Amino acid sequence: MQSRSSIFIRDTFAIAVVLLFMFPLFWWSLTSIKPDYAIFDKDGINWVNFEPTFDNYRVTVFGQSRLSEVEEKGFSVGNAGAGSYDSRQSLFDSIIIALGATLISVGVAVFASYALSRIPFRGRVSYLNWVLGQRFMPPVAIVVPLVLIYRDFGMRDVNNIFLGYLGLILIYALMNLPIVLLLMKSFFDDIPKDVDEAAMIDGATQWQAFWRIVLPMVKGGVAACAVLCFVFAWTEFLISLMLTTDIRTVPVKISTFVTSTGNEWGFISALGMAGVIPGFIFIILVQRHLVRGLTLGSLKE
Amino acid sequence: MSVTDKKISRFLSTSWMTSEHPLPWLLPASALMIVFGIYPLLYAIWLSLHRVPAGRRQMVFDPLFNWTKIFVDPNMIAALVNTFVYTFVALTLQMILGLSIALLLDTDRRGYSILRAIMTLPLVMPPAVTAMIFLLMLNGSFGVLAHGLFALGVLDPAQPPILANGSAPFSLTLLGETVKILPLAMMGVILADVWQWTPFMVLIMLAGLRSLPKEPFEAAAIDGANSWQMFVRLTLPMMSKVIAIALLIRGIDIFRMVDYIHVMTARGPGTATLTLPTYATQEAFTKGVFNYSSTIALVTLILIILTSTLFMKIFRVRL
Repeated sequence: MQSRSSIFIRDTFAIAVVLLFMFPLFWWSLTSIKPDYAIFDKDGINWVNFEPTFDNYRVTVFGQSRLSEVEEKGFSVGNAGAGSYDSRQSLFDSIIIALGATLISVGVAVFASYALSRIPFRGRVSYLNWVLGQRFMPPVAIVVPLVLIYRDFGMRDVNNIFLGYLGLILIYALMNLPIVLLLMKSFFDDIPKDVDEAAMIDGATQWQAFWRIVLPMVKGGVAACAVLCFVFAWTEFLISLMLTTDIRTVPVKISTFVTSTGNEWGFISALGMAGVIPGFIFIILVQRHLVRGLTLGSLKE
Repeated sequence: MSVTDKKISRFLSTSWMTSEHPLPWLLPASALMIVFGIYPLLYAIWLSLHRVPAGRRQMVFDPLFNWTKIFVDPNMIAALVNTFVYTFVALTLQMILGLSIALLLDTDRRGYSILRAIMTLPLVMPPAVTAMIFLLMLNGSFGVLAHGLFALGVLDPAQPPILANGSAPFSLTLLGETVKILPLAMMGVILADVWQWTPFMVLIMLAGLRSLPKEPFEAAAIDGANSWQMFVRLTLPMMSKVIAIALLIRGIDIFRMVDYIHVMTARGPGTATLTLPTYATQEAFTKGVFNYSSTIALVTLILIILTSTLFMKIFRVRL
């Protein structure tokens, strides 16, 4: 029924809307390869009138010192602050923390969600409500007490990088727990109970039925949960900002580039790009489970 | 054998240590939720019932101090109004935009799956980075968006830049406090939030649209209904549950969001972008008033629970 011209109009419009939506990302990546004179152009907006450069990435992601940059080129990239723009440590910290949090929350939640899906017991609904209740918690409500708790237990800013990692990993694992738990439960619910029962009639224990038969069947779901956990821990800002000053995860590190003498937009955008690329790759991999993941399993595609 | 012995032997012989009992399965998750969820929450309540007297380091029990301060604190009124305005405006915009874009992209034709995949990219970005992007684009002297708005005549370059501009279209006087509704700085923050999270709505709405049955639409088309009638009479009612769930999930997230405001405006200018969670953050980490901060955070939690419970009752959805 649709005429050719109306299809054409719709296609054009759809592409235009998506491109318009992607403009901030385009502008951000453009800024990251601009030299300073093109970013801070007083004559107006500089679209293409510059020499593309990877200096911003070299300094933030590959750790070239600005001093050597000066010696090489005779001028400095960046204009403000004496702070360190070398962010390799932040990238490393972020990866360790995100991986650790993913491992713990998926590891812990898989068992709990299997029990909630398969073993009937009194208080099952209350338990699910308790898990769901975590979603209401504003992070600031638990961060403030946790700062004091960590201080009392000697876990806050003690120059012990392992304790620092652990402190953040455990909190992120908790924040992720409702997502993984409910999402995994919905994946387990998809598999008929007959599967376990058949295994148990053949003499397997509940544990063996879970480990040998059901868990391998939900591999895809576990992967989707892991990706969502990783992304959440990778993008979290407030908790890592408040809880520790030893460890700066990538989002926090970027916010330190805002200085009183000016914002280092070249460095900020370069590190920002490095901070969004992992998420982009992962999200493309789990497109299929995205809707279910973001609605905690209550909607399926 | 005494009664106690029987109880003990039954306890040991029952199956709670085997995999048929839920306890071993739930233990690790429960431990994590108790140590890092329940314990801090109780600690927060304890903090809200104490205060640190001037010049002292020890906290004293004074249950009413913080809970009465909440009601006479002029910043609280601004924070309360701002939080609800921010949530309502951002949520409405995301819903309208999200549903429109979802309708636009809901087709099986080739290439559209790529467009849909591209639309999801903002979802995985750190909100702090999104905040930075909009901070750059709204910069008064070299921001590309600010220059665009100057060119369109929407903004005056002589005025303070958007994110430092507290002037507002409306204002409201509450309990003797005049609160500006939707100052320019707040609009800037909402813009960043809407950009990052409209894709969430698009994704959920697309899933909803895809799950709709085809028959009612075919019947309506035979009866001569136009597409607007079909949208209002068929699509919207059948999508109501999906829409409600999406609003609930996003609403809770916006209500407790700190990142954009913290990075873009630092709660200013004045109290123009002060919201409840950012106020709690500020009290704790720039002023060091942990007790009052916890009280504000608890008020935030209570309001989230009340509002979403009401919402869930009215629209009959569950989180």
